[in-house]
Amino acid sequence: MPDKKYTVADYMRSEVVTIAPTATLSEAVATMLSAKTNGVVVVDENRRVAGILSSWDFIQHIVPDYLEEDKHLAAFESGDVFAERVKELKDDPIAKFMSAKVHTCKANHSLMEAATLLSEFRIRQLPVVDDDGVLVGYLNRTDIKKAIADVLGLSA
Amino acid sequence: MPAMFYIAIVLFVFTYAVIISEKIHRTIVALLGASLMILLGILHQEKAIEGIDFNTLGLLIGMMIVVGIAKQSGMFQYVAIWAAKMGRGKPIPIFLILGGIVAVFSAFLDNVTTVLLMVPVTFVVTNNLKVNPKPFLIGTILLSNIGGTATLIGDPPNILIGSAAGLTFNQFLVNLAPASLLVTGVTLGLLYFWYRKQLVAAPESQAAIMKFDPKEAISSRSVLVKSLIVLGLVLVGFFTHSVTHLEGATIAMAGAALLMLLTVREPDDHLREVEWSTIFFFIGLFILVTGLEEVGAIRMLAEKLLEVTGGNMTATTLSVLWGSAIFSAVVDNIPFVATMIPLIKDVGAISGLPLLPLWWALALGADIGGNATIVGASANVVVSGIAGREGHKIGFGEYMKVAVPITIVGLIVCTIYVYLRYLI
Repeated sequence: MPDKKYTVADYMRSEVVTIAPTATLSEAVATMLSAKTNGVVVVDENRRVAGILSSWDFIQHIVPDYLEEDKHLAAFESGDVFAERVKELKDDPIAKFMSAKVHTCKANHSLMEAATLLSEFRIRQLPVVDDDGVLVGYLNRTDIKKAIADVLGLSA
Repeated sequence: MPAMFYIAIVLFVFTYAVIISEKIHRTIVALLGASLMILLGILHQEKAIEGIDFNTLGLLIGMMIVVGIAKQSGMFQYVAIWAAKMGRGKPIPIFLILGGIVAVFSAFLDNVTTVLLMVPVTFVVTNNLKVNPKPFLIGTILLSNIGGTATLIGDPPNILIGSAAGLTFNQFLVNLAPASLLVTGVTLGLLYFWYRKQLVAAPESQAAIMKFDPKEAISSRSVLVKSLIVLGLVLVGFFTHSVTHLEGATIAMAGAALLMLLTVREPDDHLREVEWSTIFFFIGLFILVTGLEEVGAIRMLAEKLLEVTGGNMTATTLSVLWGSAIFSAVVDNIPFVATMIPLIKDVGAISGLPLLPLWWALALGADIGGNATIVGASANVVVSGIAGREGHKIGFGEYMKVAVPITIVGLIVCTIYVYLRYLI
């Protein structure tokens, strides 16, 4: 494909795993497991992007602050603390864990623009929205990799 | 009285009131007040800068850098984990040993640094023991403030006093460490009686503690060795002050430079870890107090104090002790002590009373008085903040129920100590 423009629309996927901000942590974990993904887009009732939840976000909450402060002490922590922390947090709404400040792009943006966002903020996923902020698709590192393969003429 | 006199007093009182209200960050308020002292013409800039005690600032910054690097080695955590093991996995001995360690660490480290090191260990130990962490947390607060009293470098008010009054590290050790030791013993005893029924653990929890290997807490043996060497040299520097006449700032800064030379290539990270907001808070306070001194308000307060005590040595010393304790229970003890220092100097100049007992009374009152309420000292606020985040909120009244009686007993011990040692 020699004259390809490389826009977001060419590479984004339109099937996106989404979840409501009111969903609980255990619901989110179930969704992630069944969709085999580490990141889901959080959307409100109008399908507007409210945040992104990655497994990283709740792992950080499961680790107590005092162990983050002093990570060598984790070796001494009582074995049941992990399970206790998970049970304490399981019914909390994911709005508490998600990153609410989300970088998004639009379908007509160039792929370089999207790649710049991914690279500048070291993020893994980029929701694609229309002019009203409604979710229309999703782009992640794998999709960029596919575009790189296209440039190099590698067939998947 | 000239108008400047009243303007300075109003500005000072207003600034302190905003600091106490905690509506705006204390550093911003202090710097704003200090700027106004100069802008309103109460002080010339030159005079304001003369009022800043750079020895105090240098000592604080130097120690912050040294301790910041040293704690990365895991040496303090090593000692704390080792202590838990020494308690043979039994909650009461562990409670008492950890309390003692807090007091010892706090004598040589800043109180906030001490509690930031000890609170994580406390949670890990109490989770293993399956006991309520609250008695441990409250004990940590109380003993960090008591232990900090023992040395020149243990608590910022002591640094302020030592630097302004030209007192040496050894003078602090000889005069205040015995009092700190007595109060530590009494406090541990009272805490034991208060909490002994809560401190019970199952045998399997004891086994969990006995499996601890303190060596796992050490993250870098090389940083550990270098830090120990430098900390040793700094302490030798403090101990030999009477021979070398090197000031605290020189010793601490030299130690910081040496440890950075030995351990790091890029100093930026370590310099960033210095609590600059505390340093600038001190700068603002120094200038505010200088303004008050300049217009003669401090001297007037000193005269008032002597009027009330009739210039009697015992009455003056004990008023300073208890007055400082009451003030420090409610307000931050750093601004309080910064104001009291010139006041006590004036008391000496006016009355000819010996100053040493007054300095010790000020340090004991201000350091230990901070224990009475959960907002009385920075360490208290830090511990209650972490406890709240971990679901063990320490209530204002709940804390005072334990802390007020223990603080009062501690102050009575100090009163007896000061009376027997300096007043008869």
